[in-house]
Amino acid sequence: MKIFYLEHLKLRKKTRNWLGPILVFSLIMIAYPLTVEFLQTNLEKGFYSLLWISILLSMMLATEDIFLEDFSDGTLEQTIISNSSFPLLIAKKIFIYWLMIGVPISFLSFLFSLSLTQDFNLSLSIFPLSVVSSYIFLNLFVFGNALSLNKGSVLGAIITMPLALPVLIILGKSVIAIEFGINYVEFLLLLLGILSIIITIVPFIISYVIKAHLE
Amino acid sequence: MIKRFIHQFASPKTYLFQVDKVYRYILYISLIIYSFSLTWGLLFTPEDFVQGNSYRIIYLHVPASFISQSLYAIMAIASITYLIWRVKLAAYFIIAIAPIGAMTTFIALISGSIWGIPTWGTWWQWDARITSTLILFIMYLGLISLHNSFSNYEKADKLLSWLVIVGFVNIPIIKKSVDWWSTLHQSASITLTDKPSIDPSMLYPLIGCIIGFFGLIICLVILSSKYQIFKRERKKSWVKEYV
Repeated sequence: MKIFYLEHLKLRKKTRNWLGPILVFSLIMIAYPLTVEFLQTNLEKGFYSLLWISILLSMMLATEDIFLEDFSDGTLEQTIISNSSFPLLIAKKIFIYWLMIGVPISFLSFLFSLSLTQDFNLSLSIFPLSVVSSYIFLNLFVFGNALSLNKGSVLGAIITMPLALPVLIILGKSVIAIEFGINYVEFLLLLLGILSIIITIVPFIISYVIKAHLE
Repeated sequence: MIKRFIHQFASPKTYLFQVDKVYRYILYISLIIYSFSLTWGLLFTPEDFVQGNSYRIIYLHVPASFISQSLYAIMAIASITYLIWRVKLAAYFIIAIAPIGAMTTFIALISGSIWGIPTWGTWWQWDARITSTLILFIMYLGLISLHNSFSNYEKADKLLSWLVIVGFVNIPIIKKSVDWWSTLHQSASITLTDKPSIDPSMLYPLIGCIIGFFGLIICLVILSSKYQIFKRERKKSWVKEYV
């Protein structure tokens, strides 16, 4: 619980790190209607594709320097040599990031979807999808950032982006299912399945990767 | 006996001296098999009743896409070997295979696009198989750029191995994409469990092309791995002795 509080405090103090991605996401969503003609059909056409890509980009931004400060000031080294579980610490760190960035973005997704489509049920279905997908993206990009720890965030994003593409495909299919009134829960369960595997394995892999960096 | 052989062969020195003995045989046999099967497939197999002669590109497309995935699987095995047993040669193999994997995936994508024009009426569709293959191509490029961004080879090898293992998730997606999603691609014509749905007159040259192409790619991997050994072990006396 103490680690949760500490990580939360660290992130809250770095306003740019948690507010930046939320603002970028909101700006993209606000800018979208300006780029298409104000016809309901035109607005709805590409909205969800843009929504998923915006979530993806925001999560990429959120994890930009997730380990950089801890790496520079030696906190990571200290944590590794201490008795505390390093993978668990990483899992908690990712969870805090998701709670402070992923969840608000998912809530904003619901609001933007509602304001644009005026369809409450559709927008309500979008919310769990964005909650789960943002957590998956966050885990993947944290892995990418761990790989390219002091080599800049672009490299990390490039190498992990392909891993996020299957999730985008599932999200696209989910929206089609929702629009056609087909049961989209199967897609949500598929995403939850992916998430459960990712949150179990990724923290361990990240810890090994960071250890390799520090050796 | 086998363990001793593997242990000895895993040494870059033994590999370098031994691989030359088999390299020529693999090259010549593969060249003969591929040329023979390609000629058979292009000139002596019957026309397809739907696609006409355009289907003949399978003799390049299918081996390239099959090998692009197989190479990634080999890289994943090499990564596990490197991370568990710290076999240096396995690490050399990973980075030696990556550019060749990218090349074969590129050939698969390009030949598929060329085949798509007469068959589907389009050279590109964002269907699951094509998209997942494109992801594989980007993965290969990502692996190469990750390795190149580190000057410390040992660190680069470890990080690369982890990325290869995580990226392996894409291989079953490519394989099963035709079953999981409705795609323009047909389901697999050749499987281990069922009788092939492709006519034997087209099947045998295709199998020959896959074997021949695989042999040629193995030759490329051997050359590339030798380059890696020269690059990393250049200060060792046995490398000078070899050269």
